[in-house]
Amino acid sequence: KMYYKFSGFTQKLTGAAPTAAYNPQGLKQSLPAESPTMIFATPTKVVSEAGSTVEYLGANKVPDLQKFFQTSDGIPVHLKRGYPDQLLYRTTMALTIGGVVYCLVALYIAAQPKKK
Amino acid sequence: MAHQAHAYHMVDPSPWPLTGAVAALLMTSGLAIWMHFHTMTLMSLGLLLLLLTMYQWWRDIIREGTFQGHHTPPVQKGLRYGMILFITSEVFFFLGFFWAFYHSSLAPTPELGGCWPPTGITTLNPFEVPLLNTAVLLASGVTVTWAHHSIMEGQRKQAIQSLTLTILLGFYFTALQAMEYYEAPFTIADGVYGSTFFVATGFHGLHVIIGSTFLAVCLLRQAQYHFTSDHHFGFEAAAWYWHFVDVVWLFLYISIYWWGS
Repeated sequence: KMYYKFSGFTQKLTGAAPTAAYNPQGLKQSLPAESPTMIFATPTKVVSEAGSTVEYLGANKVPDLQKFFQTSDGIPVHLKRGYPDQLLYRTTMALTIGGVVYCLVALYIAAQPKKK
Repeated sequence: MAHQAHAYHMVDPSPWPLTGAVAALLMTSGLAIWMHFHTMTLMSLGLLLLLLTMYQWWRDIIREGTFQGHHTPPVQKGLRYGMILFITSEVFFFLGFFWAFYHSSLAPTPELGGCWPPTGITTLNPFEVPLLNTAVLLASGVTVTWAHHSIMEGQRKQAIQSLTLTILLGFYFTALQAMEYYEAPFTIADGVYGSTFFVATGFHGLHVIIGSTFLAVCLLRQAQYHFTSDHHFGFEAAAWYWHFVDVVWLFLYISIYWWGS
């Protein structure tokens, strides 16, 4: 007995394996014929309605930073953040003082007359 | 909390003017030491100190303005005057190099063959990459203006996008110019043509890099909500600087690339 299927390519009936005949193309057993109804995030909303609640590249931390930097603890602004500021300041100052010393030594050596 | 009866900014004591001055000392004497003794240590130390100073000084200005509220309208006015005066001084800086170019090119000496371009110099075609560079910078002037209007209108996403585009155009210019430098048929050592060409365009390129960096910092600040729709002077200063860089290029293009070819 011949089995047939409708060929989507030639648009005619062609010979087929029994499984293809029992399962017309497009339909497989256990799979529903229609895709399930899509569920969007509810309620769906238009982007323009999202407004200020949508974060783009992070939330606004400026009010917190303003409060933090305005504490009246007498600490100058370049050290206000505490440890990371101190670390950077001390490194910079060490390079400053070390650099001045190194510079004076280098200039002293450079000022020596060349021996013949 | 504030105990002052005026709107001006009495700055906290700061170490950065000192570290910056020392950086200048180390860079200049380091340059001399490099020339005579071939070691770059002192100069590099000065450069590192300069970068540390710039980072911390400008970080502190952001803290004082954005977080502590010290940039009142009269203070901001002073900052505007300051930026205008600085850019004016840069205009004079470039004026010197244009003077040198015109001095040599308007009356070419016999040693050059009595002509401009000098004998033996193959100039760059002004209608190839240099013209593209002109278009790139002009476009970046449009995008930076777009960014400004976006900030003023409170359009956060558009401001970020147009500012990013501006910076990318700046990088594109730098990349194209670097390629031109590599492929150029003449060097800085090729007489007065080479000298005027590379010194003028070289300093311009450095200013493009500085301007792109300034804009990149503004981008980071815009992403962190530092700018409001009516107070964003840091961005305006960057935009002024960027327009200045664009105008210098236009003069370079007309004078050196086009008239001088």
